[in-house]
Amino acid sequence: MTSITSITTSTTSTTSTTSTEPAIGPAELADKGFKRLAMHVLIFVIIIGAWELAGVFNQLNDLLLPAPSKIIVKFIDLWFISQRIWWHFFVTMYEATAGFFIGVGIGMSLAISAVVSPVFRRYISPYAIAFNVTPGIAVTPLIIAWFGFGWSSKIAQATLVCFFAPFINTLTGLLYTDEDATELFRSMRANKKQYFWKLQFPSALPLIIAGFKIALTGALIGAVVAEFFSASEGIGILMQRTSFKLDIAGSIATLISMSLMGLLFFSLMEVLDYKVLYWKRDSRMQQISKKRKAAWNM
Amino acid sequence: MSLLSSADSSAALESDSQSQRAWILTKHLLLFFVLMTLWEVGSRAGWIDPLLFPAPWGIVKQIGLMYYVNGNVYYHFYKTFIEAMAGLGLGVFIGVGLATAAALSLRFREYIKPYIIVIEATPRIAVGPLFIAWLGFGLSSKVALAALVCFFGPFVNTLTGLLNVDDEAEEMFRSMRSTKWQTFWGLRVPNSATILMAGMKLGVSSAFGGALVAEFISANEGMGVLMSRYTYVLNMNGAFATLLSITFFAFLLFKVADVIDYYLVFWRSDKLMQAKSKKRKDAFFKSLAAA
Repeated sequence: MTSITSITTSTTSTTSTTSTEPAIGPAELADKGFKRLAMHVLIFVIIIGAWELAGVFNQLNDLLLPAPSKIIVKFIDLWFISQRIWWHFFVTMYEATAGFFIGVGIGMSLAISAVVSPVFRRYISPYAIAFNVTPGIAVTPLIIAWFGFGWSSKIAQATLVCFFAPFINTLTGLLYTDEDATELFRSMRANKKQYFWKLQFPSALPLIIAGFKIALTGALIGAVVAEFFSASEGIGILMQRTSFKLDIAGSIATLISMSLMGLLFFSLMEVLDYKVLYWKRDSRMQQISKKRKAAWNM
Repeated sequence: MSLLSSADSSAALESDSQSQRAWILTKHLLLFFVLMTLWEVGSRAGWIDPLLFPAPWGIVKQIGLMYYVNGNVYYHFYKTFIEAMAGLGLGVFIGVGLATAAALSLRFREYIKPYIIVIEATPRIAVGPLFIAWLGFGLSSKVALAALVCFFGPFVNTLTGLLNVDDEAEEMFRSMRSTKWQTFWGLRVPNSATILMAGMKLGVSSAFGGALVAEFISANEGMGVLMSRYTYVLNMNGAFATLLSITFFAFLLFKVADVIDYYLVFWRSDKLMQAKSKKRKDAFFKSLAAA
């Protein structure tokens, strides 16, 4: 319990909640599914319909808020007719993913060293705090100056923005292991390796994966901001070009594409969550334990 | 879990004796100076390119230049400060308002859920160019971006605090037949106060980030502009000094949030708790005597 955790747990408490689905209970939604879905769709259609109607009656200024139909036309154009967006989409996705992996690597290895050595933990804590309070995207101009205008500066920026969440979540997860469980392991004379792999690591996993989720969004943000600052390809630059040309429909279509990328990342993380953290869901838990029982009986 | 752990660790800190803490601080400072000296020496000896990684002494001199000699930083700082704080205020207002509405009405919570997920997955800062196109090059576009970027932390934290109340406490409120509003004010709001400040801290850092990015995209005043100007002329000392100013200021705001947290969540500290309960007891007896 050194000072680093005292400062940063507060952030972790929020970051971990931010990353998981906001506290809107899934249990409440489980039943009455179809009717709910229909209502959701209905509300969505009403909103979009009202917006479109306003466009039909010339109440909208195309320079400010074009009608949904115009945005859809632009979206289809970007993706399927001129196919302009594919390359930009790919570039940004590559930058964000590369930044994510590097950032997670750095963050987790720092966290593990900090867990292993309390001295290291004590000495990096003020730097970690300073790093935590600095908005990572503020470093963009420096990163561009260091790494140039190409892809590497965007990857570096994505790394910089995203490494903190895996770092702090891994650290917190590994440090706070349930005391009763620890005692049980000790009374069973578990060795250090068993203790780490069977207890410490699995109990930290939910937090670690929550950190990954934040990191992936962070990496995307870092890549896009670095592209705003200076780039010639990437979805951020497409966004900037379209909005500076006051092609707002195109710009919103690009924004929707960005949301899609974010959702893609988000669902990948959900899949990871589902596969790895099987003990969090009863049905998965039963499935896995049945499988293990069968394997054991063999 | 995290609340508990933060409570323990502050207790652990308090248990350190004064002299021990002084010694730890000295060691930290010593390490810091050794690192800085190495950097300075490396820079002077030509092992580190000062054009890319400026030496500490250069940065210190630049800070002196910016704050005392030229005094040019104050104006930009003021601009960014106003943008970030106005954005933070707006963002917290929207976030807390939405969270309260979502906590009070199950139906509203269900209907905004998909939109919240989409907003969460979108890199919100990417709306920057659009905001510039909509709101112009001035203050309002920066405030709007800062608000959009920072509202999420307060929103999620307030909602979590309002919804995830202790089951047994809730049962007690129910068995006392408290009304919905009594439960809300007596149980849910205090519970969310415990993590509100953590959300605010997240908000501070992202509001500054939002304001800075909006300035990067297009502005002619503010810390973001100062920083990009310095890097374009490869005045790395200046860029670092600007960055350090932002860090320092965000750190100050974090400390302010900690202080507010300490007094707001008075039941976490024994000393404040006793003072508060004594005051309430006195007031209670006084009201009895008056009746």
